[in-house]
Amino acid sequence: MPDSFQQPTALPATCSDGFLLGLESLMRRTGQGRHLAVTVVDCAGVPDATAIRHAAEVLGHRYPILHARIARSPRDWIARWRLDEAVAAAIPVEFWRLPGTPSEGLEIASVEGLVGKLLNAGDIDIRRPGPKLRLHVVATAADRWSLLVLWSHSLLDAVGMAKFLCEFAAPGDERTPRTGGPDRPPPTEAVPTLYRQAHPMIAEMRSFPAWHVRSLHRKSATPGASRFQVFGFDREASAAIRAKMAATAGELLLLPYFAACSARAVRAVIAARHPDEAVPVLLSLPVQRQADPAKRPLFQNHMVPYTVLLTAEELAELKPATRALYRKYADFMRRKLPAAMDALMRLMERCPSRLYNRPAFHYMRGEICTLFHSHTGVFAPGLETIFGSPVINGHHIPSVCSPPGVGIFFSEHDGLLTLTLSWKDGCLSPLELELLKATLAEDLGAPLP
Amino acid sequence: MEHQLLDLIRTEVLDTGEMLTPKSDLFAAGLDSMGIMQLLLAIEDRFGVAIDPADLSRANFSSTEKIAVLVAGKRESIA
Repeated sequence: MPDSFQQPTALPATCSDGFLLGLESLMRRTGQGRHLAVTVVDCAGVPDATAIRHAAEVLGHRYPILHARIARSPRDWIARWRLDEAVAAAIPVEFWRLPGTPSEGLEIASVEGLVGKLLNAGDIDIRRPGPKLRLHVVATAADRWSLLVLWSHSLLDAVGMAKFLCEFAAPGDERTPRTGGPDRPPPTEAVPTLYRQAHPMIAEMRSFPAWHVRSLHRKSATPGASRFQVFGFDREASAAIRAKMAATAGELLLLPYFAACSARAVRAVIAARHPDEAVPVLLSLPVQRQADPAKRPLFQNHMVPYTVLLTAEELAELKPATRALYRKYADFMRRKLPAAMDALMRLMERCPSRLYNRPAFHYMRGEICTLFHSHTGVFAPGLETIFGSPVINGHHIPSVCSPPGVGIFFSEHDGLLTLTLSWKDGCLSPLELELLKATLAEDLGAPLP
Repeated sequence: MEHQLLDLIRTEVLDTGEMLTPKSDLFAAGLDSMGIMQLLLAIEDRFGVAIDPADLSRANFSSTEKIAVLVAGKRESIA
């Protein structure tokens, strides 16, 4: 340890983290587990166990946040990562192998089975000291392996995970502790000032109940385990999906196009449940505050949710739905609602997490939004190899809470599109799952593999 | 118009410290789907033209120079 060693001070959570802590609290209180995600990186070659353990050791000591707990300060009620009391340690690494694969580690039946266990086991507890991120290395064939990173969504987001993976692949030997996030003075804005700034967004949210927004959450059933399916499209199917997008919405409006496909798929299921209703969709789209990932910190969440409501008529066909989504986005921007949403999040960041979603539940009769959706773009840009093994694909598998009970996520690597469908047991019957997948396949223009 | 567009892209869309010229590759400079949406919105507001989805191609948006040609063409067709 260097002579100049200083234990970092507690790191304040961002106001975006407040939103994530609210979802984590909802999941904990209702027996839905924790808000975790697994990132899967598929590699060619064989894993270099020594280099992986070294990187886990270096990064575990460099970033005390990886073993810190988060707690609200009694001074100002802002949540803080307690780096000041964290005990640095290596990131835990476990090795596994599929049947017939000559490698170190215990045998498992499938990668999907392991991911399911990791998402539901609750091995990461943000409220207690201990690992907030865990590594699992799976030998999937004689010349293929996958790195699985289990992480808490309160610790970082997908952009942060991409930065983490790049640092993991080139860790160096520098272990001096650092925060990995921005320190900031305690907020000084008075509540009435924040309320005034947030008011346009609050007024917007008050207009949502009139639309009778629904999600896949069933009020009569207790949400169960986190479930997921990952669909990796091959090069031909990915090209076909992009060609259909180009013909429908132009080749550049990726965000509204995939959001419209996702919204229409979930709407199809809700419409089947409520055939007499004109079913709208309330989409919550995460938008990064900082356009340039290189400038943003590694840890914490740094997004503003843009909330747009699409009516049944707007969603009836894919092309108008994409156009409507773009128009709603433009309207959201023109009315300066991102700044109002930002103020609302700063107003709410002091709110105890268990109360965070109460206003939304109150106004929307127990709902938050219809679905979670994101297209995280190119997977981990800049990550080409991990200790000599070329990266051949990668994707994220986030768990979701109920409500809304479902999330549809896209990412891309080297021209290959991946779709991750994530839901809670009890929110989708087997038939509804098939309807959701069939609608997605039809809109995307390629069968789900 | 080229310079107005360049200024808009540099300050409102890309927030980049990179030295951009009218010929700079905007996708290499970080223009993504969200950036395109911001740019379309800004073009509508500043130049009073809406871009059709059919014109939303990588070729048309690869540089400020090409975007300027597209926007100028749209303005002419309106006039």
